[in-house]
Amino acid sequence: MAATKIAVYSIPDLKNNTDDALPNYLTSLKFKQSHFLTDVRLALGYSAVIIAAITFYVDYKLGWDKTKSWTFWAVLIYFTLNGALTFWIWDVEKGNVFAGEVDQPSVGRQSLSVASSVAKHTPIYNVKVECSNPEGETKFLEFSSPFTRWYDVNGFFVAKPFQQWLASEIPLIGQVDPKNKGGEAKAAASATENSEIKGSVQQDRYDTPNRLVANDAAPTSTRSRRGKKG
Amino acid sequence: MLGGLQPRQLLTQLLNFALVLSTAFMLWKGLSVATDSPSPIVVVLSGSMEPAFQRGDLLFLWNRGQNTQVGEIVVYKVKGKDIPIVHRVVRRYGGGDEPLQLLTKGDNNLADDTELYARGQDYLTRSTDIIGSVVGYVPFVGYVTILLSEHPWLKTVLLGLMGVMVVLQRE
Repeated sequence: MAATKIAVYSIPDLKNNTDDALPNYLTSLKFKQSHFLTDVRLALGYSAVIIAAITFYVDYKLGWDKTKSWTFWAVLIYFTLNGALTFWIWDVEKGNVFAGEVDQPSVGRQSLSVASSVAKHTPIYNVKVECSNPEGETKFLEFSSPFTRWYDVNGFFVAKPFQQWLASEIPLIGQVDPKNKGGEAKAAASATENSEIKGSVQQDRYDTPNRLVANDAAPTSTRSRRGKKG
Repeated sequence: MLGGLQPRQLLTQLLNFALVLSTAFMLWKGLSVATDSPSPIVVVLSGSMEPAFQRGDLLFLWNRGQNTQVGEIVVYKVKGKDIPIVHRVVRRYGGGDEPLQLLTKGDNNLADDTELYARGQDYLTRSTDIIGSVVGYVPFVGYVTILLSEHPWLKTVLLGLMGVMVVLQRE
């Protein structure tokens, strides 16, 4: 996946881009993704659209009088399917971004489903996880993190901290991907990496005096510093 | 932009777009079924019903209950002519066991509508010619459609503007 730049103040952008990155990471860990939820959604949606398309065509060809009774049923079925689709999205998918299972010697066979959500105007990514094994034990997890953990100032997604975050929060992923679980401990210990992640307020406090000094003393040095960054 | 998407993501995006269009269409058809009228909302095109209706008024029709009375305002379509006409019922013949027949006239016209009917037709047949009776209206909001049909170049301008917006917005 090419690194795409997103608008860091757009919460839908932050969420959608993160939602896309999550299955990419998990499938790279040999999780087998199940597309059942999406496939049902597509089937419901496209059946409705096809019914509307046929209605349009028949109405166009034959006119109202000949298609009247037929149209009644088409409308009824269309809105039933549409209602089923809405129900499916809100009550079954519930923001699901990944469903799948892993079968590895270290963890055995386990299934995992991850749903994500954001609150309005709040740049925090909320995750709900459901892990279950063949014995029928199911574990639920809920956690969240600000998007700043895995987006840099310019709006580029940084995979490493995101993967470390998931690996340390979800034990199953930690077991499958121990490298990233260990990485998180190290990252937390080193203050330099964390200060970059922690939110803009702190960063401003860091940046302002530097900038002021730089502007007063030698404007050229500021430019060269920026040049290196970009 | 669409190239990087997975097939399912692409299908989902397309579905969202298709659902917007199809839902609009099916709502219209649903309204048609509910009112039993092929075209339950029409725009007044002429001043022949002034002062009751002005050009550009949006009319809501109801076509259930076929026993139309004198004084009701109906919309009818003459065979062989495309444009529906909104006029008031001034005479009725038949009804009951016989098919109901109606004569209409525009409030603002001097003569009744026999001139407007098809050649050799002296009255309207309720069950086949009438699209519906007017049950409600919103003044003026339909004027855009009149402007568009009277000045076809406006359609070109509007399409051009939409095209420019799509290019500028990139979404």
